[in-house]
Amino acid sequence: MAVTIQLIISGLALGSIYALLALALVIINKATDVVNFAQGEMAMIGTFACLAVLSVVKLPLAVLMLLAFPLGVAFGAVVERLAIRPLVNAPPINALIATIGLFLIFHHLAGWIWGYDPYRFPSLFSPEPVSLLGARVSQNSLGILGVSVGIMAILYLFFERTRLGTAMRAASMNRRAAQLMGVNVGHIAMAAWGLAGGISLIAGILTAPVTFLDFEMMVIVLLKAFAGAILGGFNSLPGAVVGCLVIGVLENLFSAYVSTAFKDAFAFGIIVLVLMFRPAGLFTRVAGKKV
Amino acid sequence: MRPQLRVVALLAGVAALFLAPLGLAHYGHFILATTMVYALVGLSLNILMGMSGQISIGHAGFWALGAYGSAIAMQSFGVPFILAILVGGAIAGVFGVIVALPALRVQGHYLAIATLAFALVVQQVLFEWESVTGGRQGLSVPRPSLFGVELRTDLSYYYFLLVLFLASAWVTRNLRTSLAGRSLMALKMSPIAAQCAGISRAKNIILAFALSAFFTGLSGALYGSLIGRLSTETFSLTASLSFLTMAVIGGLGSEVGALLGAVFLALAPEMLRELKDAQMVVYGLILVLCMQFLPNGLASLGSLFARFRRAR
Repeated sequence: MAVTIQLIISGLALGSIYALLALALVIINKATDVVNFAQGEMAMIGTFACLAVLSVVKLPLAVLMLLAFPLGVAFGAVVERLAIRPLVNAPPINALIATIGLFLIFHHLAGWIWGYDPYRFPSLFSPEPVSLLGARVSQNSLGILGVSVGIMAILYLFFERTRLGTAMRAASMNRRAAQLMGVNVGHIAMAAWGLAGGISLIAGILTAPVTFLDFEMMVIVLLKAFAGAILGGFNSLPGAVVGCLVIGVLENLFSAYVSTAFKDAFAFGIIVLVLMFRPAGLFTRVAGKKV
Repeated sequence: MRPQLRVVALLAGVAALFLAPLGLAHYGHFILATTMVYALVGLSLNILMGMSGQISIGHAGFWALGAYGSAIAMQSFGVPFILAILVGGAIAGVFGVIVALPALRVQGHYLAIATLAFALVVQQVLFEWESVTGGRQGLSVPRPSLFGVELRTDLSYYYFLLVLFLASAWVTRNLRTSLAGRSLMALKMSPIAAQCAGISRAKNIILAFALSAFFTGLSGALYGSLIGRLSTETFSLTASLSFLTMAVIGGLGSEVGALLGAVFLALAPEMLRELKDAQMVVYGLILVLCMQFLPNGLASLGSLFARFRRAR
């Protein structure tokens, strides 16, 4: 039992990292109708940049994380401006192909600059386990969960209480109507890409101490985020979070009790099953299409 | 271009392909054969992306199924080469139908994710299923032979591949102007209007996926016999994305585009050798820049040029 609780909590921590990345994907998808295949790689290369900063200036990690967010925002916004904005009137598949191009650029650029060996990345939290519900749980897992929940709470307030957040929601519901109400949808798209860049960079910084930092780090995380987002529904922020937490926990239990080798295949199996039987995700209703 | 000129250009192109190996050494023949193998994948992506507007970033999965399917058919069951490559293509085609099933219910992005997941699962299963696929050891593939005559040199194999490519190009060309091809293109432009006109989305998309997977599987089978050894690393995400780059830079609308893309993919590792692994950065730049400045690929350069001249 204690082992199961331990697995569930570390699964939740894992799932909350997937959830941060999934939030970034869903925010972009809602604002610009693009699935950003490069999101994970943007996080990875940003994390490398943070490590480079750390090697020059010995910043405390909490400060680094606070600085990382605006860095990620700027990065995301620049990428949107240069690679995505020019395709706004092209068929949607073109923007998708462009993000795949970005994936290749960032993925191999990181390998080229920093080499192919994994780097150690310092963790905010000590690895010492603490006792919780009779199970030994690592502080790192709890810390990851805490940071993620904090970010989600801030995000919730941002979307509900701020002018920009409200404008973003409006633009994703009905682009044309929002435009008529004076919302600049070009700025919204840039803001969405920036916000996603910031959130995913935090996800990268949380992932790096667990898996070591290398150019392959985020590929599998991105796929799990896809799986979670599809499970929850690609257009719902809370749905994506819940989906990712479910994936994190199930995957941990699966690898402990069924098969470690097929742990990753498990998540992809879920993608295919959900797409076959409930393509809109578990938590969203299918919207009828008006002709 | 006037029709007569078009025929002349086509004949000249085909003649050039037949004469291409002249004056080249052994390695040149190998590159040419690789080009033909890639060109078949280019044709298959042409069907899927160009005609039906669906996207796949998991074609390495079908490629792997074709390669391993035909290699195992030859090794373990003694199936002759010419049948084995068809078996490889058929296996891939069946899986194409399976992957297409979720595509029927969702559009665009999800399908890309599903194909990606499919390819990764295929790679992992091939790696873990050691008793059949050799796992990390890899699998050796016999040289191709036709009716008892072994195609010992890459040159003879190139001619075999060229004929196969021309036949396949003829098939996709006819598909483009057939009812099925036109239905696919109608579905791509407006799914709602097309379905109102009585076109079955399910039937046509399954057909496109099956055909595309078949040609990719065929190409995989031919690739195995060319290289002589299969290892799961070949069939990675990088391979899928290279295929995508090839299809995009060549142009998705035509058989010529498939060939141009394949020439690019076969030559790029040679030209970018200095860059080592960073050559994939160049692929990425190509994808991003093509989408902005040349969305219809190299094959559209001719018509762009013609339009430019007319404008002046």
